[in-house]
Amino acid sequence: MNTTTKKRLKITALLALTGIIIAAGVIIYLFNMPHRNVQAASADYSINAEEIVNEYLTDALIANEKYLDAEGESKILAVNGIVHEITEDYNGDKVVLLKSDKMQAGVSCTFTPETNPQAANLIVGDHITIKGVIRSGASYDEDLEMYEHVIMEKSSIQ
Amino acid sequence: MKTMFHEYKNLKLKIMSKKTMLTILAVAAISFTAMSQKLVTSKSNIKFHSHTAAEDIDANNTKAVGTIDTKTGEVVYSVPMQAFEFEKALMQKHYNSPKFLDTKQFPKAKLTGKITNLSKVYFSKDGAYNVTVKGEMDMHGVKNPIEEQAIITVKDGKVSVTTKFKIVLADYKVAFEKGKPSTNIAKEVEVTVNAEYITKS
Repeated sequence: MNTTTKKRLKITALLALTGIIIAAGVIIYLFNMPHRNVQAASADYSINAEEIVNEYLTDALIANEKYLDAEGESKILAVNGIVHEITEDYNGDKVVLLKSDKMQAGVSCTFTPETNPQAANLIVGDHITIKGVIRSGASYDEDLEMYEHVIMEKSSIQ
Repeated sequence: MKTMFHEYKNLKLKIMSKKTMLTILAVAAISFTAMSQKLVTSKSNIKFHSHTAAEDIDANNTKAVGTIDTKTGEVVYSVPMQAFEFEKALMQKHYNSPKFLDTKQFPKAKLTGKITNLSKVYFSKDGAYNVTVKGEMDMHGVKNPIEEQAIITVKDGKVSVTTKFKIVLADYKVAFEKGKPSTNIAKEVEVTVNAEYITKS
């Protein structure tokens, strides 16, 4: 084998190796892609609890088009409202319902193990702003015979 | 006030027969007890599990809302599909995407059914009751009949439900022909529900 062929082979091998390393890197990144950091992100919309509930009760299709994302990375909302109820979900995470008495449905905000301490001192009647990611909207469900709230997760207090 | 009441009572007795009055009282009594017959979920978890030779995939959802009507046996579950959390972020994106569960177009799945052996369940008596729920599952825009077993447990006056059943993804037009998903996701996934209920106020 002459030196030119040797050189070509060496370059080809190096290129192939670089290609493999890059591909491996991409695959490893995708496989271990971090979950969206909702707390670090800024809100897409700053809105009143009553406003978003009304948007959904008026036209859920338009509201879903506006707030939901095709891959589940839906809009981050900073919702301000009145604390109506504080409960815990199956995992023990705090769930704060923002709703005034005249509203038919509210905005239900679930906190995370990291942000739960923020909700520890909340009391019913507090006016606060909670940031989270929307999962589904408000509607009246005929089978449940009740109003469903706007559901937000990954919540934190603004 | 008291004389008015006596006058009214006399007048009433004259006009109505005893039978009519008893009927009125009975209807009033039934409608009064009917006021607190609905149970609503306060805490629940829905787990979706897929097993293949390639990998196991689990997703959990704690945001479902459900009701049980203790008088009619009607069971309803409304599940916000975007609230399913996966360990792998990429998997979560694939699950939500239009190629799979298309959760932006179909943001909620719903189960509506009825407990077929309601007479065997005593909601105010501690115990574990095996029930059959027959009804319909509406997911990804497709409705299919379902009939599954569940256990209703009553303990210290609190009602909880557990159930485990399988869903064939293709039945809900969740099909995938080529590529990674077809080898890494089972054709049939196992759904486990654990829910605690409170009386609807």
